[in-house]
Amino acid sequence: MNTTNLALNLKEIEESYPESPINFFKNKKLCLFKACLEKYFPGVRYGIEDFLKDLELDVITCPNQSCCSGTFFQRNLITRAQFAAINERNLNEINRVADILLFSCNGCYNSLLRGREFLNSPEVKNKTEKILNQLKNKGKRDNYPGKYEILEDLNLKLIHDLDFFYLIRNSLVNSLKYDLKNLKVAVHYGCHYLNLSRDKDSIEDYLRPKTKLEDLITLFGGNPIDYQEKDSCCGWGASQLVLFEKSALKITFNKLKSAENVGADFLVTPCPTCLYTLSKPEYREKMKKWFGEKLDIPTIHLNELIAILRGCEQERCMSLQRTTPRLKEIFEIITND
Amino acid sequence: MDDYSNSDENWHFYEELIEDVDENKNIIQCISCGKCVGDCPASKVSNFNVRKVISKVLRGDKSVLNDSDIWYCYLCERCKRVCPKDNINIPLLIINLRNESFKKGYGPKYNDLRKYVEMSERFLKSGVVLDEPLGDKLPQERVNELNEICNFARVKYVFKASKDHKKSKKK
Repeated sequence: MNTTNLALNLKEIEESYPESPINFFKNKKLCLFKACLEKYFPGVRYGIEDFLKDLELDVITCPNQSCCSGTFFQRNLITRAQFAAINERNLNEINRVADILLFSCNGCYNSLLRGREFLNSPEVKNKTEKILNQLKNKGKRDNYPGKYEILEDLNLKLIHDLDFFYLIRNSLVNSLKYDLKNLKVAVHYGCHYLNLSRDKDSIEDYLRPKTKLEDLITLFGGNPIDYQEKDSCCGWGASQLVLFEKSALKITFNKLKSAENVGADFLVTPCPTCLYTLSKPEYREKMKKWFGEKLDIPTIHLNELIAILRGCEQERCMSLQRTTPRLKEIFEIITND
Repeated sequence: MDDYSNSDENWHFYEELIEDVDENKNIIQCISCGKCVGDCPASKVSNFNVRKVISKVLRGDKSVLNDSDIWYCYLCERCKRVCPKDNINIPLLIINLRNESFKKGYGPKYNDLRKYVEMSERFLKSGVVLDEPLGDKLPQERVNELNEICNFARVKYVFKASKDHKKSKKK
């Protein structure tokens, strides 16, 4: 059983479609995995959804998809088999309606890959099967047509939004209305993109520094700027911030401070959880109280940034609930002709 | 210096952990190089020290379960990436140790996890961790399936604890 190879093979696409990788996605059904935090940051969803629709690609969300449940697994509130079962349930549902699944969240992406990896353990696989069979028996009464099983040959392939945007970067750049006007941008990949075991198949990919975000920023006309804490955690740490707030916010503070120190205008990240941590006004206030300094640097999700650059209305591409200082200023600099 | 007084110097603990999670067998390869500690965000703000945790496990020292340090791991998986050995899955080991700690009653009390009560409650009621999802809600039949999957899971007890908490408040 091929359980680990769920990630879309990017090299294959680059080789088969050297001129225009976007053609690979035409005539395929694309599904956006709904990240819980998109509720706070709708621009994270709309940023990619609107773009894909403008390219006339077939894009949907799956109404039967639940939360990836990574947060509960990481806190020992569900077992590996339960986590894998939730995962397989989502994969079954999405596999019925789509060919490609895109992720705006590092956590969700990591969860779905990891849930499958757990099935490599025969014990976890047996337990997961047992749970899914129980659902099947109950489901007979509900008259629900398709029940869940561990799919040996899954048609569905997974891709992270950052990998997707990088792959089709030429089509992306052609669709932009504005450029970054040489703004200094500090990139934050987020741990669950940086440290993915999916890259472990090739030791070079695994160890080589990641540069896709920097490359995209350069293509957008910005100036990616190196900073001391570039690869460090945002501070969320699988909810450490909820349990040990002060020590976790010290990590957040160091990160933001390090980006400010090199004169970055804003941070960009491909993860809404990192975005939440790095931009929440309440956290900024607490950092000021505990560490004596108010940090002004805004954080923007990659999908939101693309929406801004494509000329999307501010209401749609950035959440107005977010009151990070200077966010509006950055928006105005970029969209000022 | 490490305190060796709790150590039985045996393999029982290691074997128990492998029985639970097969992947744990790989930690025997640890050469104590310390790359995991040097790159660890938790080590910068707490006493969490992966090298020490692994060495305790390999010595059969179960005091690690009673040690608050294991609860400081950020599960960022950085250690797994920088480790020069093959397939030592430290984050999974930590999750496993926390599980054992929970079973022995050493883990955080439900009260410490109270912020999880709301998240768990929402997950079991609506399939998401925030109030309302962006777009469609998960149909009730599918929410029921999640509840079925989570039978006997801690996520349900946290939920229950919250109900009891509310009841006692009303009284």
